[in-house]
Amino acid sequence: MTFPHHNKFDIFKMLLKQIGSLQILLSIIMVVPLIVSIIYGEYYSASGFLISSLICIVTGFSLQKGFQTSFEPLHRHALIIAALGWLSIAIMGSLPFLITAYITPTDVAKQFCQSGTDYTSSLYYFKNPLHAFFESMSGFTTTGLTMAVHEPSIGKGLLFYRSFTQLLGGAGFIILSIAVLGQSNGKVALLLYGTESTGERLKPSIIETARSIWKLYLGITLFSFVYLVIGTHIILPGYKFSENIFDSINHAMTGQSTGGFSTLDDSIAGYHSLKMDMLYLLPMILGSLSLPFYFKVIYNKQINQFWKNLQTRSILILCLLGSIILSLMLMKSGVISEPFRTGIFQFVSALTTTGWQTSDVHIWDGPSIVFIVMSAMVVGGAAGATVGGIKIIRVLLIFKGIFWNITNFFSSENSINVVRFNERRLLPDEMNKELASAATFSYIYLLFVLISALITYYFMDGNFTITDALFESASAQGTVGLSCGITNPEMSPVLEFTYIIQMWTGRLEIIPVLVLFRTILFGTKPKIV
Amino acid sequence: MKIIIAGDGEVGFYLAKLLVLEFQDITLIDTQKDKLDFAEKDLGIATITGDSTRYKVLKQAGVESANLLIAVTSVESSNITTCLIGKKLGAKFTIARINNMEYLVDRKTLDLKDLGIDELISPESLVTREVRYILRSPALKEIFNLHDKALYLMGLLLEEDTYLVNKTIVETAGLIPHNSFMIVAVHRNDTTIIPTGDLHYHKGDLLYFVSTEEGKNSVIEYAGKKTKGIKNVLVIGGSRTGEYIALKLSRYYNIKLIDKDIEKCNYLAKNIPNVQIVCGDGTDIKVLEEERLEDFDAVVSVTGNSETNIFTCLIAKEYGVKKAIAMVENIGLFDYSQKMGIDTLINKKMAAANFIFRYIIKGRVLTHLYGVDARIQEFTVKKNSKVTKKPIKELNFPKNNIISGVVRNGQGYITLGNFQIKAEDKVFIFSLPQSNSDIDPFFN
Repeated sequence: MTFPHHNKFDIFKMLLKQIGSLQILLSIIMVVPLIVSIIYGEYYSASGFLISSLICIVTGFSLQKGFQTSFEPLHRHALIIAALGWLSIAIMGSLPFLITAYITPTDVAKQFCQSGTDYTSSLYYFKNPLHAFFESMSGFTTTGLTMAVHEPSIGKGLLFYRSFTQLLGGAGFIILSIAVLGQSNGKVALLLYGTESTGERLKPSIIETARSIWKLYLGITLFSFVYLVIGTHIILPGYKFSENIFDSINHAMTGQSTGGFSTLDDSIAGYHSLKMDMLYLLPMILGSLSLPFYFKVIYNKQINQFWKNLQTRSILILCLLGSIILSLMLMKSGVISEPFRTGIFQFVSALTTTGWQTSDVHIWDGPSIVFIVMSAMVVGGAAGATVGGIKIIRVLLIFKGIFWNITNFFSSENSINVVRFNERRLLPDEMNKELASAATFSYIYLLFVLISALITYYFMDGNFTITDALFESASAQGTVGLSCGITNPEMSPVLEFTYIIQMWTGRLEIIPVLVLFRTILFGTKPKIV
Repeated sequence: MKIIIAGDGEVGFYLAKLLVLEFQDITLIDTQKDKLDFAEKDLGIATITGDSTRYKVLKQAGVESANLLIAVTSVESSNITTCLIGKKLGAKFTIARINNMEYLVDRKTLDLKDLGIDELISPESLVTREVRYILRSPALKEIFNLHDKALYLMGLLLEEDTYLVNKTIVETAGLIPHNSFMIVAVHRNDTTIIPTGDLHYHKGDLLYFVSTEEGKNSVIEYAGKKTKGIKNVLVIGGSRTGEYIALKLSRYYNIKLIDKDIEKCNYLAKNIPNVQIVCGDGTDIKVLEEERLEDFDAVVSVTGNSETNIFTCLIAKEYGVKKAIAMVENIGLFDYSQKMGIDTLINKKMAAANFIFRYIIKGRVLTHLYGVDARIQEFTVKKNSKVTKKPIKELNFPKNNIISGVVRNGQGYITLGNFQIKAEDKVFIFSLPQSNSDIDPFFN
């Protein structure tokens, strides 16, 4: 009997093959915005999608057929696949922006701009490949930072595509590939599933789990859509119904994925309505709650999860307290005309890492910016949702750990002090382990935010302050998408690239990207540190 | 009366030993031949070597005609299987010993009676119940529930110079609130006496009372004791008994549990909420001092080793702990450990045996008290029996037996001289072993 012998190249073959299947998936996905473009008669955008889709499918098939190997991914490979897979998707996903920008004639692009405005279409910013890449990364990672200064001017097709990338990126690309293709075996699927979600098994098999996650996710998006259509119609009866439908479908997708792209020029502020601001709070909060939580509520009929589930409870409480505090701080600073309206909306938008904006953060006072960064953007929503940030569960664990450590001084040496956390009882060893991994992650996370804030500080325009730099950096790292204006098509390429890296690491919780770098630098052999 | 006992372990052997005094037809089944040989020689009972879950073995033991099948091996599933098969084969009443408390908790949903197991016993939970009763009234040395919260048998030690010392029972009768309790036995210098009115109380007497629910506190007052409140309890030993005590009593007390084994500690810490687990040697004074032994109101020592338990309780008493309870499985140690000053002894075997006795015919309950040579029997009075004819004082009841309470329609009554017993009453008789006169005719 012979054992299959694997050499170094088998790993590459396996990686490329996995990337190949993701590309095929991407090409299928691009058909949806293609159809939307045709509906709206945007034939240049449609051709852009068609060409991109063809490129993706050719690349995908050649990678998949060209690299045949029996090599099965191991745990470390799963992380590399996730990191590389997301990178490849963001790169290939930028093609529609780039191609459409090049093939759309000026007079056609002019039609996208609203009448009576004098700016040129933002579509042409995407002629710069870095901008296209930025937009694509911001979409797939559900961040929401944008290069399209005047959103409506890029055309309905691309607007839909942007929102659609957020929807797909939100629940996870790899989960989608598991759910749709179902080709990986159980072990590999589990490994891959763990890299972009909590790894919580909802059904006995991973493929079933992935499918039920997608069903739930799409179900809630559909609910948000109906809610927004009806809400908008009631609040703004004069608003054109076809526009209402287009806005609501896009906003339902970007709200549920906590992405935060908008189809309006000034995001949600574009409605100029207090009631609309409040209407949009619900989709954001829905998006920040974990999918396993929905699974328990909807499939298992455990309504009590609303107050029993630690993450859900904490998010709701934090939303309430944080928005009150932020409002009061804004009121005290006196720079904002409606502090409560702004405070509530922006805090919820930041905590849920959605990034819909109703206020110019640049004019805020320093303490308010630091507060929203520290208590909302860095924290983020629930693990198992589509949010970024450190995740509320880790923050709670660390606080519990601090309290636990202090309490331990008061009991005898031999005492076994159990920690009750999230309906589990953790032994000291388990707690130390959990605490170490949560603390390590949070530390790396904050390090990323700080380093990027410093880079921002050196490469940004002179009229911004260090708190603005911190805000923008935390926004990119937490895949929030709120901006104080530093992100724009004229920004330094170094900074733009930094944010791309941040969004990428932010979506994958950093570690997979670090594993990828380790692999590139030192290979996959274990090493004594 | 044919009784089959499966499992010649501690409980099984002790049970056989007690039962053989009353009944002849006892068969013991076990897989270990040498153990059975010993039982056969020592008790003179029939034994069968083999696995009690096997049809053939049960058949050989004569299960078709058995009145009672008791499965008390250490393996729970084998006990259940034995009872299921035994019942199918014709055993009239089956009792299975279990370790998994889930069966007791979910009794309603998991009705094993339907399947053929008439009663489940778990020595650990029985012992826990005893501990709970004792901690509730810590002044007592023992307490037994004679009948569903209607009548209790309480034992307490007359210490120091209380009012009662050197007085006769008649002299102190004025202190007894009307019909709430009566004294039924005095244990003095290793002998048990059924008292008469002119008996003097001595210091160091162990007194037994039968009391109604309302009379419980009066008993403690009468004996000159204070009702001490227990708040902090230290449990030493994380055996199944310790685990169950911690689990059940954590609702009422602050419990700290000490065990030596780190694996076991981790298991307990993970599974018992609201109990502080400490990993350390419960006999090490340093460890106990660090856990601030003096702050505890009660210590319950339930390690697998009787000597360790006795020793730890002695240390606890030394440190001023109000109540020390030791689990002593070795019955030979009973007398000495009581003399050394341990407040209360508990014993799994006796708890299980006492419980099983409730199911033995003649409607009797036989409660064997720890270290006291006496028993309590229960009779249901038949119509027109001798006892219903006259008040108690005119009955001329045999010596060394005392009628110590009646339960009528669920209500407990204390039976003084002019009490009239009626048909259908449940009568409790406290009797000494030297009384060989038959009291059955009084009730039939």
